[in-house]
Amino acid sequence: MGIFSRKVAISSAAALGVVALLAGCASAPADEAADGGSLALPCMVSDSGGFDDKSFNQSGFEGLTSASDELGVTPITVESAAETDFAPNIQSLVDQGCTLITTVGFLLADATKSAAEANPEINFAIVDDGSITADNVKPILFDTAQAAFLAGYTAASYSTTGVVGTFGGMQIPPVTIFMDGFADGVAYYNEQNSASVKVVGWDVAAQTGSFTGGFAAGVEAKTAAQGLIDQNADVIFPVGGPIFLSAAEAIKDSGKNIPLIGVDSDAYVTAPDIKSMFLTSVLKQVGVGVADVTIAAADGKFSSAPFVGTLANGGVGLAPFHDYASKVNPDLQSQLDAITKGINDGSIKVTSPSSPK
Amino acid sequence: MSQTTTPVTSTVVLKSWKAPIAFGIFTVVSFVIFILLNTGASTNFRLSTESDFIQLPAIDLPALGTGIFVTALLFAMTVLSFFFSNKGKSSPIWMISAFGFFFMVGFLTWAGADGSILIPGLLLGTVGLSIPLIFGALGGIISERVGVINIAIEGQLLAGAFVSAMVATLTGSPYLGLVSAMVAGMLVSFVLATFSVKYLVDQVIVGVVLNVLVLGLTSFLYSQVLSKNTAVLNSPPRFDRIDIPVLSQIPIIGPVLFRQTLIVYLMYIIVAVVAYALFKTKWGLRLRSVGEHPMAADTVGINVAATRFWNVALAGAIAGIGGAYFTLGSVGAFQKEMTAGAGFIALAAVIFGRWDPIRATLAALLFGFASNLQNVLSIIGSPVPSEFMLMLPYVVTIFAVAGFVGRVRGPAAAGKPYTKS
Repeated sequence: MGIFSRKVAISSAAALGVVALLAGCASAPADEAADGGSLALPCMVSDSGGFDDKSFNQSGFEGLTSASDELGVTPITVESAAETDFAPNIQSLVDQGCTLITTVGFLLADATKSAAEANPEINFAIVDDGSITADNVKPILFDTAQAAFLAGYTAASYSTTGVVGTFGGMQIPPVTIFMDGFADGVAYYNEQNSASVKVVGWDVAAQTGSFTGGFAAGVEAKTAAQGLIDQNADVIFPVGGPIFLSAAEAIKDSGKNIPLIGVDSDAYVTAPDIKSMFLTSVLKQVGVGVADVTIAAADGKFSSAPFVGTLANGGVGLAPFHDYASKVNPDLQSQLDAITKGINDGSIKVTSPSSPK
Repeated sequence: MSQTTTPVTSTVVLKSWKAPIAFGIFTVVSFVIFILLNTGASTNFRLSTESDFIQLPAIDLPALGTGIFVTALLFAMTVLSFFFSNKGKSSPIWMISAFGFFFMVGFLTWAGADGSILIPGLLLGTVGLSIPLIFGALGGIISERVGVINIAIEGQLLAGAFVSAMVATLTGSPYLGLVSAMVAGMLVSFVLATFSVKYLVDQVIVGVVLNVLVLGLTSFLYSQVLSKNTAVLNSPPRFDRIDIPVLSQIPIIGPVLFRQTLIVYLMYIIVAVVAYALFKTKWGLRLRSVGEHPMAADTVGINVAATRFWNVALAGAIAGIGGAYFTLGSVGAFQKEMTAGAGFIALAAVIFGRWDPIRATLAALLFGFASNLQNVLSIIGSPVPSEFMLMLPYVVTIFAVAGFVGRVRGPAAAGKPYTKS
């Protein structure tokens, strides 16, 4: 009996020790907020992509970091491994005394909504979702269709086979808005230049297309890209986190010279080993939006009016052509400038069912 | 593969109506879809790519004509199948295959109407998606045949993918990467085997916990170590494709089967060896006896614990090769959660294939085909919503398991720890 109890005691102590050690790994709560309560404590929850996804989570994280540096506070950030982590992660930030919790991604909408209802005194901001209407929730939205429209026009102009392709991670509005803009941009090119470039992988009218079912750069994404190459596509626009990596391998296997178009950040910079494969990238400056909202909230100017990134305010845009600058049509840049101007003054309407309202 | 034959008395004739009824349903479906709901004019089937040795011309099939022809043919086969069943015979396997083939021709012509389908591309994608499933299923079969349920296939694949990417990058050699993937799969198996054979822990629980452990560990190391040093740790060289002379020049299937990487050729060999050894060698007999009736095996002097331990380790090594396919064979760099549930589909293939290596391989190929069909159809613009299309492989698997496999019996002692009494 005595031996048994001692064993139990030792193993319990060991278990407690492990728990304490693991808990120690989490970021320490910021002391300023704990004792004073007057200072801002911005916090952030990622979706399952994590803050190193070379995409919108990372971009949001960088926005938060730069804003926090400017404010002189230490933000608390939590990564979600799966959808079941969303609600507990938000709750743990609430318990840490955060004053502004930014949730990155459309998939966190339900969790954010219930947390915002339960904690009306805390401010929330959510990237990529405009479905929540509450006084303490600010949507950070991006009209990426505008920038993707330019990318579609560019792809159509570059294509020699007359086929350009796109595929997405999951069929959710933040993904399909890119595909809508892209397809509309190709259609606009056809209309302006009486061409007949075809888009494979997305049908705007029917809102159906090619998706890998997730955001992992695995075998499914490679097969999807291979399918587009088999349809003779000579520009590929993979929409969704890291899936462009699989597309790049499919292109290498095909032995063809097919450029990619990146999404969210300038892939020429974020994916240096395959930078020569990028025609351009559709920029979605999540960081700009997040930093803007974080600083405004710290200054006590939080509002629930959505932040909408557009071509006009620099929230979305088209990256430089880099290595392809000499290979695209010399008139392309001036045509794109004219289109940008048209979109900004409203003479060219870019609409998508997924556009921020 | 039951080894005993059930004695059937000559007066009782068992009539199975499963095949004719399934045929009948599919014939009705093909009538409705291919003929009544037919919209397009014709479908273009391309049979060779630009790089093929023998160039075959593309075929244009008229949509309505093909629909009528296929439906008539399917109807004829259904009638024939009823005839067979009425006489107490089962429908021959060639007829089931022919039925499936013609239904698929009809379906592709309907779904791809006014579009163009590259047949070698469809098949190449099928093989590409199936390979990890086949390796995973082989690992599952060996492990379960010896009496240890292997839920940890997903973990073995993921561990193989992670370690092979890292080792191949550090050493610059994909071969060392492949070997290390086998070691990684084996290490996962060691944990499974130790807990289930030595400590008699519930095998399903150990397997599930291992999957979560490997997922957590690889994702953590990826975020903390690999993604910060991509050039040094996570940019492995991939295996080159090797053309097998003559065989790779066969039209359509040549490039699909014989213009592949080392891992694919290794798969052909391993499937053949496991299928032979499991049923024809002393090793296979001992392995199966331990999985069916460990006490009887023990009585004749087979060391049950050691047999189970080392064969589970072997299963892990084979699944590890499947993991290396993700990185060294297909995509290159390791990505978080890159196996995306392939281990669980492999597990389904084990049961669907009735714990038989060849059948499980065919099951994995069927799943790969359905996945790639979904992909090709969604690219050329199918009338079906994308979310529904993504369900297609799973729907096909359920139908196949329910319709053509029916009741299956696994190894009798799988999942039951053995203790000497």
